[in-house]
Amino acid sequence: MLEGLVYPESLSLSYADMSVPERLKGMQQHQQIEVLSQSSNDSPELLQILQFHGSNNDELLQSTFSHFQMLESGFGTKYNMDFGPSHEAMDGCISRTSSCQIDPADTMGVMLKNSVESRAISLKNKRKSEVKTREEEKTDKKIKVEAETESNINNKEASSDTSKETSKGDSEIQKLDYIHVRARRGQATDRHSLAERARREKISKKMKYLQDLVPGCNTITGKAGVLDEIINYVQSLKRQVEFLSMKLAVLNPELELAVEDLSVNQFQAYFTNFPVVIASKPSVMVDLPLFPLDQQGSLDLSVINPNQTSIDAVKFINLKTSLIILSSCYLSGK
Amino acid sequence: MERQIINKKKRVFSVEPNKIPPSEVFRRKYTSHLVPALKKLNMNKNSPQINQLSVKHEVDMALALSAQEFSWSRFLLQKLSSSNNPTTTSSSSNGIRIQERSGKEGGGDEDGETEEKLRELQKLLPGGEEMNVEEMLSEIGNYIKCLELQTIALKSIVQDTT
Repeated sequence: MLEGLVYPESLSLSYADMSVPERLKGMQQHQQIEVLSQSSNDSPELLQILQFHGSNNDELLQSTFSHFQMLESGFGTKYNMDFGPSHEAMDGCISRTSSCQIDPADTMGVMLKNSVESRAISLKNKRKSEVKTREEEKTDKKIKVEAETESNINNKEASSDTSKETSKGDSEIQKLDYIHVRARRGQATDRHSLAERARREKISKKMKYLQDLVPGCNTITGKAGVLDEIINYVQSLKRQVEFLSMKLAVLNPELELAVEDLSVNQFQAYFTNFPVVIASKPSVMVDLPLFPLDQQGSLDLSVINPNQTSIDAVKFINLKTSLIILSSCYLSGK
Repeated sequence: MERQIINKKKRVFSVEPNKIPPSEVFRRKYTSHLVPALKKLNMNKNSPQINQLSVKHEVDMALALSAQEFSWSRFLLQKLSSSNNPTTTSSSSNGIRIQERSGKEGGGDEDGETEEKLRELQKLLPGGEEMNVEEMLSEIGNYIKCLELQTIALKSIVQDTT
């Protein structure tokens, strides 16, 4: 392993002379080689790659990347000693895909860009990981979103393989058998923490939906506050229902009579004319707004503002209740 | 004429039958369950005083019956049918709580606080304690909607009689 440490020194000769992109590439290769050299003991194919380190071939980068992916899981704690943030950078940048073979060029290209930038940046800053963490996360996020569903599926598929991938595990190098998942910079890449993260994101999505639902929640940030508001809202709705049902219980004997009185006129008028003009209460069937359905198929009634539409609703329901009562009277009367 | 009217009953309710907004569907179902039930209650009870609990029972029953696509309504229905005796349920929100959990303190932890609130929310939702958190959050969403609609419907019924 010491060989690996010694190695990069020899390459860092003309650092200042090189132009920026060249320097970047040089640094990447640096790092790759550092990494590779550490594990070079185990696989002879890598020695070949080391020989090519001088060239600025894109193909080389791609092949090293694929090998990277292959070996990445095996590095684990080995890295923590010397490479610190650079290890994190690599962890953060490496995208795992589901294929066992070398990835097709386009995905590689995307990965390359991101990881190239990020690694170069991390090296430039002399291992100050904080500065660029956000940027990396942003870029990682884009791809992560796309790869997330895939990775979720893949996570479930990989059982025995990925169990060995944890940093606590052995540093054995396994060949090409991984489920690759993109992890964000600075976050653990266990299967468990990934699943946790996916779950947490689902929950936060639902919280956002609830925030839109409950009036007055938009201004509050933080889960606890929103949950508080939701709890209060549900409790107040329940209390309202209770109160109204108590009122109804008091008024119940009058209910029948009142409804029946009004209903007769409404009933007849309702069927003869449309829209109906009733002496006491105008019909508003036509005026009722249409409420859109959510994509998920649940009731999307966010359009309702209960205060505004209640008036219309009241009139409509008056008609309706009268109709129902009357129709039931008809039916029972026969 | 009568037959025509009765046959037309369902048809008349909508201008375009295929485009009934779901809130209307709920409201119709709700009132069509509640009002006859109240009437029946009225007729059956010989005592002049109508039991508030039975009204509450009917109100909840109507809610459960009109929202049968949601899992909380099934829980509610189960509760209501099992506790048919109106004198057993005394306190107001007792009908909704399935279990009383001993209050677990979050220990000042941010996560613990949120968890505590989630548990509270679970208590409010019928059947919430038996769901996992994700499911519970989506059920709470439609429960809130249905509660809102229920209050509107009740208000209109009450206003109708005053």
